[in-house]
Order: sequence, then C-alpha cells, then structure tokens
Amino acid sequence: MAELIRLENISKSFGDNLVLDELNLTVNENEFVTLLGPSGCGKTTTLRIIGGFEKPDVGQVFFEGNDITALPPNQRHLNTVFQNYALFPHMNVGENIAFGLKVSGKSDQYIKDKVKYALNLVNLKGFEKRLITELSGGQQQRIAMARAIVNEPRVLLLDEPLGALDLKLRQEMQYELVRLKKELGITFIYVTHDQEEALTMSDKVVVMNNGYIQQEGTPEQIYNEPENAFVADFIGDSNIVSGRMVRDNVVEIKGTEFPCIDGAKDGFMPGQPVDVVIRPEDIEIRPYGEGLFNGEIVSKIFIGVHYEMLVKGEPSGFEWLLQNYDEHSVGSKIGMYVRPENIQIMKKPEYDDEKAMELDI
Amino acid sequence: MKKTISYIYVGLVMLFLYLPIFALIVLSFNEAKSMSVWTGFSLQWYQELFHNRLLMSAVGNTFSIAILASLIATIIGTTAVIGLSAMRPKSQNVVLGFNNIPMLNADIVTGISLMLFFLLLHIPQGYGTILFAHVTFSIPYVVLSVRPRMNRKTDRLYEAAMDLGASKRYAFRKIVIPELMPGILSGFLLSFTMSVDDFIITYFTRGAGINTISTIIYSQVKVGIRPSLFALSTLIFVIAFVALLVVNFKSNKEEEVA
Repeated sequence: MAELIRLENISKSFGDNLVLDELNLTVNENEFVTLLGPSGCGKTTTLRIIGGFEKPDVGQVFFEGNDITALPPNQRHLNTVFQNYALFPHMNVGENIAFGLKVSGKSDQYIKDKVKYALNLVNLKGFEKRLITELSGGQQQRIAMARAIVNEPRVLLLDEPLGALDLKLRQEMQYELVRLKKELGITFIYVTHDQEEALTMSDKVVVMNNGYIQQEGTPEQIYNEPENAFVADFIGDSNIVSGRMVRDNVVEIKGTEFPCIDGAKDGFMPGQPVDVVIRPEDIEIRPYGEGLFNGEIVSKIFIGVHYEMLVKGEPSGFEWLLQNYDEHSVGSKIGMYVRPENIQIMKKPEYDDEKAMELDI
Repeated sequence: MKKTISYIYVGLVMLFLYLPIFALIVLSFNEAKSMSVWTGFSLQWYQELFHNRLLMSAVGNTFSIAILASLIATIIGTTAVIGLSAMRPKSQNVVLGFNNIPMLNADIVTGISLMLFFLLLHIPQGYGTILFAHVTFSIPYVVLSVRPRMNRKTDRLYEAAMDLGASKRYAFRKIVIPELMPGILSGFLLSFTMSVDDFIITYFTRGAGINTISTIIYSQVKVGIRPSLFALSTLIFVIAFVALLVVNFKSNKEEEVA
C-alpha cells in the first residue's frame, strides 16, 4: 500500500503542557487507522494537526510526499467528522451536506444529485428538508458523515464520532462505518478512547499515551502481543505481573516457573526482570494440583457471556483475574494452567507513560 | 376560595402597574387642560402634538439617535467580541472587566464626565455629542449579549466550515455571523431601548437647542406640562405594546411550527 500521510517528528505543546513529543506516524492509502488512548494522550491533537486546525511547534506533515504543514484546512484534501458533529444549526440537512460542494462552486444539479446520493449512503433518504434540531443523535451523526464524504475526500478524519451515542447504536454504527469505508474506498483516520471500537474496525491501531505512541499494529498484534504494561492494561482486562526470566522459554512468576515462548532471541536474558501479561480468558481451570499453580476462588460475578473470578494464588496470595464459561463456586480450590503461547513477556517500563494506568476506584 | 384570592392578588398587581398608564391615556383624550377633571372626549391634544414643531423634532431626534447609536454600538460591540475571542483568556477577562465598569457606573457620573470631556476638547455639544455618548454607553451591553454566543461551539462550526473548504471570510459570513445573530439582535434592541430611555446622560451632553423626548418633557415640567405630552406618552406606550404583542405572537407561532 502506498504511503498517503506521514507525520515527522511532530511536537506540540499548549502553554507548559507538552501534548505531543516527536511523534512519527505513517498512514497508508485505503487504511483504517485508529488512534487509541486515554483522554489527554494527544490523539485528538494529532488528528487536528492532520486536519490543519493546529500547527505543530516542530515537525512536518506530508500528504503524498508533499509538505502540507503550513496549508490551511480549507486547502487539504480531507474532511472531518467532528466530535459533536458541528452541524450548522441554522441550515437544514440538505444545506448542511451541500455546504462543501457549494463552496467549491459545483452546479446546482450536481449538488442536488450528490446530496441525494450521500443521504442514501447513510440510510437517511429524503431527509433534505429536515431541521438539524429535529434529528436524533444517531441521525445527526450520519448527517455529519454525509456532509464530509460528499466532498469525496482522500482521507476522512473522525474524532470520536460515536462518543455521544448509546451502546446499541454505537455497535450498529461500527458496522456502518466499516461498510462505508469499503464502499468509498478511502482512508479513515479514527480517534477514540474505546478499545472495543478500535479493535473491531481498524486495520491498524495506534495506541498512544502522554504524547507518545506506545504501540502500532493490527488489532490482533495489539491485543495478543502488547509491547508494554500500558498497552496490555488499556486493551482489555489483563493480569499484569512482575516476573523474572529463568532461562530461554521459562519465566518465573510469583514463585512458579512457567514455560513460555520467549527467550534470548527476543532480547530477554536469563535473570532479567520482566513484566508478564496473562489475559484472564487464557487461564484454564484444572482440578486442584493438576495445573501449573493452585489457588482458591475468592469472588465470582456473572457478566453475561462468562463468569469473572478472582483467584488467590498459592502461596503468593496474588489475586488472579479469570474468565471462564463454567461456574465454579467461591471457596473452591482449583488448579490453573496457561499455555506457553498465551504468556506475553514484556520489558519493564523505562518511562512513566509505558506503565499501566492506575485507576482510582 | 384560594383561586379567587390569587385572582384578586394578580388583579391588584396589574392595577398597580397599569392604572397610572391608564390614567395618562384617559387624560390624553380629555377636553380640558385639567389633570384631574374629565370634561369630555377630544383629540385636540393629539392635534397640538403633531403641530408642535419642538415636540416633533424631539421625537425625531430621539429615534434617529437611538437607531444610529444602537447600529454603531452593535457593530463596534460585535467586532470587539470577535477580537476578544482571539485573545488569551487572561487578557479577555481584563477587557471584560473594563467593559462591565461603565454599566455599573452611575449615569450621572458618566454624563458629567462626558460633558467635561467634550468641553475639554472644545467639541461643540449637540446632536453629535449625544450620539457619541449613546454609542459609548451602549457598547458594553452589546458585548455582554453577543459574547455568550461566541463559544466553543461557534469555534467548532467555524472549523467545520473551513474543513469543508470555505475561506475564512466565507466561513465567517455564512456560519459565524448567523450563529452570533440572536446575540447581535438582542444587543441592538437593548441599546435601542437604553438610548430611547436615557435622560441623564443626554441632558449633560446635549448642549443648547437640541432636545430628545426625555429632555423636552423635563424642561416642560418646569413651566407646566401640557396634555399634548400625555398624547405623546400614550402613543409611545401603544407602539411599544403593539410591538410586544407582535413579537410574542410571532414567537408563539414559530414554536408551534417547530
């Protein structure tokens, strides 16, 4: 795939607050790229720099190899779906969608056809004369999409477009977005703090924290092979524990030796302290004594598809998070097993932004 | 029982508010010049009003000054708000603080200081100085009513327009101005009523030979009020009343449509 947008060494601060620090990012043609991270991680600022609404303090933005850093937003071949849609309240739906076409001086007939086509595309046929205030949140969202794509941009920037919708609608719109992306065949750059959205829709996920890119990769890579504790923690539930490499393919965690698939070839030397990620669904329940380690179930809740349990490991007392389709009663003693390939070993964080987030609950 | 009491109470309030105006209206149709005895219906005071050149020119001055002053103040105030939005929040607060002082300041102080200012600069007082004074005291009200519309949402809409390819000027004209419009309109109306109402500042800045409605009434009080002034007041009240009815009726109708 050809490179479409490249950010080079972008730094940006607001006052004393450094939002982006020497960020490098490449977006390829026809890719669905998601910038994912907690609020304040710099993802929206990155999007606004691509859109031309913010100027980077340092660094350059390239579009098809041309430096567009100084270009104002109205001269860039991209359109944005804004966070709260930013639909023009004093215009009706048709006028909103036609705005960009009118500015570029298209003929009335062309505009009319194009508005109709765009409304069809977002499943809101015949909505031309409706007022913005009469629309539901989901409909406004679709109009915002239509208003952007009607201009046939090379890239569509989406700033948390589903943030204001309820869960059911959000899931529906995720499918819609993927469908639209396929039909239009253009590049999407999507900003969200919702890891589920990021994983379901993207070709590439860029996980950000404190102005740094923590990891870039396919959703599978991000989920299965997080590179540091922050990514592991932010993407899904996980057990993140300190461990120590014993030798190649063996890691010691809380006094138990686990077979794994990492070693010197991945840069983990014997004796080196590491962080280990084990997803709760990857801990298998065996009869007591028949697993790699044992524990006692201390709590259990049913969360729809599966049960979520906290298990106090022996002898460390560390509480493991488990997910299992079978019900086990609180107080029962179980054995636990983890397949070597499900043990993800990461280097210890060197910087604060690589650490797991501490949530105040 | 409770209901009757509440009706009576509301009736009393209405009576208290409107009885004086009602008395004024009745007396404007009185045949005699008396302020207390009703002698018969007549339109002679209205005739006198329309033939009184002094009064008519005062009416003309009042409204032309009000319209001009509120137009100028609206333009200056609106551009001030737009300029403000580009400033750092700290400086914005300083400017807004200064903006609020003239509103809290007593009219008499504003009036006298304006008069001294004109005298100091040897500016002959007349229509121009009144207009200048009215523009001055109206600007803060315009700023205050337009400013809340210049918010994050307006910024976003402006950005959205730019994103869709609009030039700064086009985005401003087509998106920002309509977004500010309700504030601009209410700022204009506020300035207009303040200007029509004003007596003190006008009195100190008008110089000799020019009158507005308020100053001419004041000067006539000293020599004895003629019922033609009742007629004038009645007309002003009726016009305001009708305008209010029309506005209310229209906004009700708009709500029904929406």
